[in-house]
Amino acid sequence: MKTAMESQRAIDAGAAGEPAGEAAALEGVSFRFRIGAHPALENIHFRQRVGEMVGIMGAAGTGKSSLARCLNAIIPGFEYGQFKGRVTVLGRAVDGARVCEMAPAVGMVFQDFEAQLFSTNVAHEVAFAMEQVGLPPAEIRRRLGPALEAVGLAGFQDRDPTSLSGGEKQRLAIASVLAVEPAVIAFDEPTTDLDPEGRAEVFDLIRRLRGRGLSLLIIEHETEEMRQCDRILILRDGRIAAEGPPHRILADTRLMNQCGIRPPGINLVLAELGIDAYAASVDEAEALIRRSLGLPADFKVEAAQTAGIRSAAFQPPSSPQAPPLVEIDHLTHVYGGQVRALDEVSLRIDAGEFVAIIGQNGSGKTTLAKHIVGLLKPSAGRVLLGGRERAAMQPAQAAAMVGYVFQNPDHQIFAGTVGDEVAFGPRNFGLDAGEIQRRCDRVLKAVGLESMRGQDPFLLGRGERQRLAVASVLALQPRLLILDEPTTGLDYPQQRRMMDLIADLNRAGTAIVIITHTPWLVAEYARRAVLMRKGRKLFDGAVRDLFAQEELLASAAFRVPEVTALSRRFGMVALTAAELAGALRGAG
Amino acid sequence: MPIYLYLDRRTFIHRLHPTVKILTIIGIFWSVYWVDNPVSLLPLGLLLLAGAQLTRAWPNFYSLRWLFILVIFATTVTWIIFYRQGKPLLHLGPLFVSRASLEYGLGRGIKLAELLATSVLFLSTTKVEEFAFGLAEMGVPYRVGFAITLAFRLVPLFIDSALTVVQAQSLRGYDFNRGGLITRVRRYVPVTVPVFMGALRKANNMAMALEARGFGYSARPTSYVHYEMRPFDFAMLLGVALLGAAYFLIYYTGYGAIAPR
Repeated sequence: MKTAMESQRAIDAGAAGEPAGEAAALEGVSFRFRIGAHPALENIHFRQRVGEMVGIMGAAGTGKSSLARCLNAIIPGFEYGQFKGRVTVLGRAVDGARVCEMAPAVGMVFQDFEAQLFSTNVAHEVAFAMEQVGLPPAEIRRRLGPALEAVGLAGFQDRDPTSLSGGEKQRLAIASVLAVEPAVIAFDEPTTDLDPEGRAEVFDLIRRLRGRGLSLLIIEHETEEMRQCDRILILRDGRIAAEGPPHRILADTRLMNQCGIRPPGINLVLAELGIDAYAASVDEAEALIRRSLGLPADFKVEAAQTAGIRSAAFQPPSSPQAPPLVEIDHLTHVYGGQVRALDEVSLRIDAGEFVAIIGQNGSGKTTLAKHIVGLLKPSAGRVLLGGRERAAMQPAQAAAMVGYVFQNPDHQIFAGTVGDEVAFGPRNFGLDAGEIQRRCDRVLKAVGLESMRGQDPFLLGRGERQRLAVASVLALQPRLLILDEPTTGLDYPQQRRMMDLIADLNRAGTAIVIITHTPWLVAEYARRAVLMRKGRKLFDGAVRDLFAQEELLASAAFRVPEVTALSRRFGMVALTAAELAGALRGAG
Repeated sequence: MPIYLYLDRRTFIHRLHPTVKILTIIGIFWSVYWVDNPVSLLPLGLLLLAGAQLTRAWPNFYSLRWLFILVIFATTVTWIIFYRQGKPLLHLGPLFVSRASLEYGLGRGIKLAELLATSVLFLSTTKVEEFAFGLAEMGVPYRVGFAITLAFRLVPLFIDSALTVVQAQSLRGYDFNRGGLITRVRRYVPVTVPVFMGALRKANNMAMALEARGFGYSARPTSYVHYEMRPFDFAMLLGVALLGAAYFLIYYTGYGAIAPR
C-alpha cells in the first residue's frame, strides 16, 4: 500500500527532467463528454507555475470545470468521454491514474458544500482525506490543528458539520483538502451558494493561502475577486479565448462582455468615461478619474445633477387608498419554540412594486416570504393578502394573489414535457383546457421557451430550467411574484436574461419581491429594498437611500456594489456605471 | 433536521470500545430473543433504564416518546387479539382475550420497546465513525462501514429536499391527500421525481468529491482515532456474556415462556 508521502516522493521523483517550478500542465488536451454535441475542451495548452494563482473565467458550459477536473483525473477517470492530450502534475503524467490516486497531489473544493462533507464531526472531516491516502495516525494528528487554524476553525473539532454556516462548511472542506498538502488546489466556484459573509470568509482564506505560496486554480464568476490572481484564463466554447494578467484581462470590458463575464463595475465606469487604464480598487479608480477629468480633490457632484436620478428611480405606490397586495402586521415566527426567526416585522407591498429583501443567511428573509405564501403559520401577528387574512383564504385564491419561485428549480420540475410542467398548476386548480392552453402559450412566450414546449425539462440547461420554474408559477397569474435567489448558479448572461424577464413582468404589472445576496442586482433592478437582520427589519425604503447608509449595511454584512462605493467618493449615490459616468461627464 | 441521536457526553458508556458497544447490542438482542414472558423481560428493561440514566440519554427518549408508546400499544393490542391460547377471560365473537394472550401481548410490546431502547442507547453514545471503526475491527469491509455512515448523512438531506418539494408543489395547487390509497401513492409522483433526480445529482457530486479526497486509494485506510481495549471493556464483555447466558438459561428452563392457562 502506498502512503501519501510515498506518492509525494514519486511525484517529486517524476519531476526530474521537467521544467523546474511547474505545478501543473495540460498539453493539447481535448475532451468530449459521452453525451455532448460539442467538445468540452479543445486543444488546451496551459501551464501553471508552482506558487502561481490562476483564475479561470467564462460563461456556463465553456469548459472551466472540465479543465480543472483534468488535473485530478476526474476527466477522463470519473466522467467518461473521448480524451486526447497530456496532463502532468509536478511533472508526473496523470495518464491513466485513478481519481483517488491523485488526491495527494491535487486537492479540489467543489461548489456543493453539502456533497463534500462526509463526517459527523469537524476533526473526523479533516482527517478523512488523510486517512484515505494512508497517512499514519500520528501524522494526521499533527496536521489536524494547523489545518483547522489555517481556515479559522480552531476549536471547532467536536462540532457537527451540519451545524456550521455555509461559509464555515466551505472552509472546513478547504481544511480537509489543505491537510493532505497537495501540490495544487483547485476551487470550482467555491462561493456560488454562499451569502456575502460566507463569500468574504472564503476569499479572505484564499488570499491567505496565496500568501503561503500554494499553487491555486480558481474558477469564479465574480470578477472583483479575481483581481488577486497572477493570471486569468478566459474560456469560450472549450478553447482559451484570452489569457493574461488581471490588469490586461479585466480592463478589457468588451472582451468580458463577449465571453459572458460581468466586467468589474469600476472598470466599466472608466470605459464609459473613455479612460484607457485599469483600476484594481475603488481608490485607484478614484485617483484615475480625478487625474483624467482634472477634478480637484474636494470635488463633489452637484446636488442638481443627482436630483433627476433620485426622483426617477423610486416612485411611491400610486394609490395608497387601495388595499395593499400584502400587509404584514407585527409578524413573529419562532421555530421549534426557541429560534426567533422573525420578530415583530411589519411590511406593506403594493401593486406594481419591485422589492429586494436582503440580509445574511438566517436573517429571516425566506421565513418572511414563506409567511406571505402561507407555508408557515405566524407565532404572532398576521398576514393579509388584498385586505383579507391569508389564513382564511382558499389555496386557489391565494395562488392568484401570490406565487413563489423556489431557489432551486429542480425542487419542482417533474413533468415529461415543458408544456405539461407549466400546465400542472392551472390543471390543479381545475381550469378548462382552453384557458390552460392560453396561459401556457402566454407564459412560455414571456420566458422565451415557446419553442421548447415538447422538450423534456430535465434536458434543459440550468438557466432554462430556472425560467421554466418561473413560467410554471406565472401560469397561475399571481399579482405578486416572490423569487428566492433567482440567479444562483447562473452565469452572467443567464442572470441578465432572468432579471430582464423579471423586470419585464414587473413593467407588465406584476409586483416583484426578490430575495437576493447579489448587490448589483439590487442596485440595477429593484426600486425598494428591505434589509433584514436577526429577524428584524432594519431598513425599508428606496434602494438608493439604503446604499447611502454604509454603516447600516456593514452591520448586516452587505457590501454595496463597487460603483456605488466609488460614486460616494464624489458625493453621490450611483447605482450603475452609466449613472456615475453620466454625472461625472456632466461635471467634467 | 438532524437524525443523529448522538449526545456528546463523557460517560463511561460513551467511552466503551466501539466493538464492545456493538457486541453489547448483539448480546442484548440475543437476550431479548429467547424470552416472551413480561416478568422475565423486566430485569433487562431495568438495566436499560439504568443505562438511559447513566448516559443521560433521556432527551432522546423524550423526543421519541410517541414512537415508544405507539410500538408498545400497537404490538400489545395486536398480539392480545391474535394469540388465541389459554382459558378465555373474554370471548365476544372474534374477540378472544385470555391471561396468556395478555401476557404474550404485553411481552411482545416490551420486547420491541427494549430492542428500540437498546438502539437509542447505542446511537446516543456512539458516533457514526465509531460505529464504522467497530465494524471494521470485526472484519466488516471498510466500504460497508462507510456506506452506513454516509446513509446517516444523506437521509436528513433527502428529507429536507422532500419537504421543500412538497411545499413547492402544494403552492402550485397540488393536493396530495385526494383519492384512495393507490391514488394517493400515485399522486406522490410530483414529489418523488424531483427528489429522486436531486438524489441522483447529489450522489454523483458526492461520489466525485469522495474520490477527489482519496476514497478508494486504499482498501483499509488508516484511522486517526484509535480505541484501545481497557479493563472496563473486558468487564463489560464479561457482563454481556453473563447476561446472554442467563437469558438463555431462563429460556432453557422454561421460565421465559408463556404458560397457556
